[in-house]
Amino acid sequence: MSGSGPVKVLVLAHSEADGTVGNAGLEALGAGRALAAAAGCGLDVGLVGAHVAAAARQIGSCGAARVLGVSGEAFAQPRYVTDAAAAEAICRASGADLILAAGTSRWMRVLGGVAQRLGGSVDTHVTRATAANGAISVARWFYRQRIEGEVSRTARPWVIAIEPGTQAPWSGAPAEVTVEAINAAPPPVRTRVTGVRSPSSGQQTVRPEAELLLVAGAGWTKKQADGQAHVGDAERLILTFLRQAQASLGGSKSLVDQSGDGNDVLGFMTHLNQVGQTGSSPRHRKGLATCCHGEEPHVVGWRFITERRAVNLNPNCGWALGKADVLYVADAFQVMAKVNDLLAK
Amino acid sequence: MGYHIVVCAGIVPDPLQSLEPVMGPGGPGLKNEAMLPAVLDPWGAHALYEAAHLARQHADSKVWLVSFAPKAKLQQVMMTIAQKVAFELVAIDGAAHGFTDASGVAATIAEAVAGIAGLDRSKLLLFGGWESASRAAGATLSMAGERLGITDQFFGVDGITVGADGSFEILERVEGGQHQVSNCGGPPAVFGWATGSLHEPANNPQLGMTNMRALIPALQRAKAASPAPAGTFAGVAVPSQRRETRIVKDQSPDAIAKEIVEWIRQ
Amino acid sequence: MDVDVVCAGFGPATGGFLTTLGRALTREDGGVRLESRVSPGMPLQVMCFERADDFGVGVSGVVTRARGLRASFPDFERAQIPLCTRVTGEKLVYLLDPIGASRRSRPLRAIDVLLRGAGRVAGVRHHAVVLPFMPSFLRKHDGFVLSIGQFGQWLSGQIMAGGGAQIWPASPVDGPLFDGDSDRVAGVRLVDQGTDLKGEPTSAYTPGMDVRAALTVVGDGPVGAVGRALDARFGLPEGHARDQWALGMKMVVDLREGVDLEPGTVIHTFGFPEPEIFGFLYVLKPGTVSLGIFVPSWFDSPVRTAYRYLQHWMQHPYLWRWLEGGSLRSWGAKSLQESGRRGEPHLVGDGYARIGEGSGSTNALTGSGVDEAWTTGAQLAEAVIELAERGDPFTRENLERTYVRRRRASWLDLELRIAESARNGFARGMLWGMFGMGLAGLTGGRLRLPRMSDSRRPQDEHCSSLDEQGWPAIVHDGRLLVTHQDALLMGGKVRAAPGYADHVRIKEPGVCRDCRARVCVSMCSGQAITSAGAEGIAFDREKCVHCGACVWNCATSNLEFRAGAGGLHSVEN
Repeated sequence: MSGSGPVKVLVLAHSEADGTVGNAGLEALGAGRALAAAAGCGLDVGLVGAHVAAAARQIGSCGAARVLGVSGEAFAQPRYVTDAAAAEAICRASGADLILAAGTSRWMRVLGGVAQRLGGSVDTHVTRATAANGAISVARWFYRQRIEGEVSRTARPWVIAIEPGTQAPWSGAPAEVTVEAINAAPPPVRTRVTGVRSPSSGQQTVRPEAELLLVAGAGWTKKQADGQAHVGDAERLILTFLRQAQASLGGSKSLVDQSGDGNDVLGFMTHLNQVGQTGSSPRHRKGLATCCHGEEPHVVGWRFITERRAVNLNPNCGWALGKADVLYVADAFQVMAKVNDLLAK
Repeated sequence: MGYHIVVCAGIVPDPLQSLEPVMGPGGPGLKNEAMLPAVLDPWGAHALYEAAHLARQHADSKVWLVSFAPKAKLQQVMMTIAQKVAFELVAIDGAAHGFTDASGVAATIAEAVAGIAGLDRSKLLLFGGWESASRAAGATLSMAGERLGITDQFFGVDGITVGADGSFEILERVEGGQHQVSNCGGPPAVFGWATGSLHEPANNPQLGMTNMRALIPALQRAKAASPAPAGTFAGVAVPSQRRETRIVKDQSPDAIAKEIVEWIRQ
Repeated sequence: MDVDVVCAGFGPATGGFLTTLGRALTREDGGVRLESRVSPGMPLQVMCFERADDFGVGVSGVVTRARGLRASFPDFERAQIPLCTRVTGEKLVYLLDPIGASRRSRPLRAIDVLLRGAGRVAGVRHHAVVLPFMPSFLRKHDGFVLSIGQFGQWLSGQIMAGGGAQIWPASPVDGPLFDGDSDRVAGVRLVDQGTDLKGEPTSAYTPGMDVRAALTVVGDGPVGAVGRALDARFGLPEGHARDQWALGMKMVVDLREGVDLEPGTVIHTFGFPEPEIFGFLYVLKPGTVSLGIFVPSWFDSPVRTAYRYLQHWMQHPYLWRWLEGGSLRSWGAKSLQESGRRGEPHLVGDGYARIGEGSGSTNALTGSGVDEAWTTGAQLAEAVIELAERGDPFTRENLERTYVRRRRASWLDLELRIAESARNGFARGMLWGMFGMGLAGLTGGRLRLPRMSDSRRPQDEHCSSLDEQGWPAIVHDGRLLVTHQDALLMGGKVRAAPGYADHVRIKEPGVCRDCRARVCVSMCSGQAITSAGAEGIAFDREKCVHCGACVWNCATSNLEFRAGAGGLHSVEN
């Protein structure tokens, strides 16, 4: 089906372990409400989880015409077969032609498949959804946060995954609301979620909740002024800093990849730490880049870091110049040793 | 039991290249794209190495690589990839840039997978990158899996362990730097890989030669496809993020450290 | 592994060889014309191993008359090779020194004073004089400007699609294999993988594979590991020497909006930034130029920082009016073996033949090497076809009778003879050098200056930087004038694949510690070799673009330059 203007917006959200809708879900709801208002159309909300009553109450005053819910133990687990069935059933029951959901790991697992089942299109990593003159358009990332595009579609239904951290979350008062129970009938379930595991690297990784991201660049393992590499010193300095500053750790690809090299490497760095073009683009309030060298492709790794500082021996380094607020031209080994001393006091 | 592993991986400009989007008459593309050195999509490459690793551990397994890319560029990339692991290529000749629609690409890929001679759907594991480094939709593999009727799908995968009963234990990246652990009964299933844990295999020209015997005919057989653009584009741009950088030079490490710590504690 | 023919290096020479041979392997009806000995019933099994991780990465833009190329591809112009266009105009430009930092001899200063005095009357504009004529030996009016990187990409596709040969990138060749104790070359050995930087095996160790072949084709360029190993074993023919080198450093630049240089324009410069440094600018397509400089071995200064010189050259008023506001698209550097025929090695031996720049095919008088290299490859292929059809073995005598005879009878050798002594004057200075080139070029080599001393290598750090010599600091604009390290990142990324040993190694650390000149440091194209205080020098492979300049700039021959993977990754050069 297709149309120039939407008839209805549906926001999909899942309840967390405590039964409420999480922050990313509230952001999607905020985006959905704004879109419905701009387009002058109705709004539905679809909830999925073991129980959805608490979540429905939480978003009760958002102005949704209908709140549709799929609940039951089978829907407690983030799992493709059940989540896709639940989302498909809600979408069909709502009949909405614009479907928004947060780009959480749980929704990202199923949104493509759901769009396929509905015969629709999908856009992910969306940072803005707007309506003007009867047309809907979204701004989204391509090339992994390197290129931004403004896209509109006439084909419907259109599934839109809202990038977490890009919207103001909806924050309204709780209110009682009737949940229409929707029956989703998934095929036989062959997958069980058995738990959650912290990475076995055991050390620090990119933790979104941390205030500060330390980005370690390949310079840490390079030969220093005396012609020798000082990897042991680098490891101690970085780990001490992470512990004392409660910081999250990111690394450049070149630093992570060296582990296949028979080189001395930072033992605690894995691909999970990789930020940038072939890694993640985490969101933190502050970022400190050390011994990083590079330019646009690498710097994608700290596109969403609000305050940025860098320590580097090269004053013209493309990683920092024009990209950091402050660039300290100094030897990171010396500086970080002093930083650790001060943090310990 | 053996697995029939189909890896979906296109090619992308070497991730270290600077990219500049341009609007053309047929929609957006990359400036000088044909001239940028290409590599196998990094995420898809992880999937390929993991597939080869899994296939080596289980007798009677086979690996195919389905790749949707301009034929000439794909051939060049294959000369390197063919030296790394054993696979059979299924090539689709078409644009590889990131501004095509995920659903159209998924349809083409699913059709190519369905058309693989001798593929046993009950042994099928559909592998690919969690997201490509180009389209970055995170949806293409899922849509292709749907078209092939596979309802066990996993994304952001960093590891698969096969149990004694043939079931899989799967690690998927979730929020908070953690892995969700799932147990799945076995094939058919879709696995969108993050990085996994394997290093890139060393080049082995002898393996390359073996692969090449089938590679060139596969490239010659490649069907052409023209994926539609992902909607109507009003514009594409690299976000300009020029900041006024204050450069602190000629300061002692002590003074710099003091300033950094103050900033951290703000 | 056994094949019939193995090639080391994929460049223009091997391109010519594989193109010509590939077309002759099968008959029109699909039947085998040249049968393999290792796989009976199949055509000759031909394999080529290339060090770099892609085809045509990190090499140079050229202007060429394309005589050899057009012989192979009569439809060359219509082949739609990106960044290839017909020459539309040529200029030779003498650049005056607008800064006053150039190291000019007294006679040259006198000429400069006269030119400036005469001003516009003498044709001085933008601190430069366009010579009213182009010497005939330099003209390329019937040729093309092209990007060798793009040509290499196109060519590899043509060869492999034809099925005549397999070309494997990212496969550095360690050296030749010999048959027992004899001098017969029996193939090549690829480099070990899964080693640490010192070459010691790690858990991922895979010894370099031996690829045995009846014929080994050595086309690995001026500093290739196989060619250098053969030179070490067999020496050079009597009276031959490889004493003339240059480092070519270049960029591909997108011009600012509104700069309207006609595609196919060719500009050669001399006189600035130093009299000995030649420059070039070719317009590849509207708004895109290939430009660069050559820093020659006879340039008698330890401060051979080609990158900095390139920046000063670009900012010369004659060029800067076009280049200002442009942006760097690609960058690279390469050593050139300019001894030509006088540096020719033993072209053939039992089981091997040499082609391309490493075989002395570069013509320094006409400033041409790509077409010459291509032609040597095509000539060797014709010889191989002749021998294979008759079932004759690839012995030194048979290769002499077929390949060397063809080469000697061709335009290539005739022109190389003319050029043989054309540069004798440069050892005495730029004016003598230019006079000597003109004399040899315009008299067809009949008149020439006597040979003077070999290239002079600076022996001391009497003046360690261009700043001290009065050159102004470079003001970076972040687009075209960028730091050397940013050029490595913006102009083509350097790759250093894991699992390989360092390809640049120091033989005796004490020698480097005691060396005061350390020209290897100033001449290093990627700042990969740095002074490490009392330690001597340090090498960082992640910055090495494999230009090979360190080898011919080391006064003590204390550096090993082995085969290594990776290097610069840009296909636009």
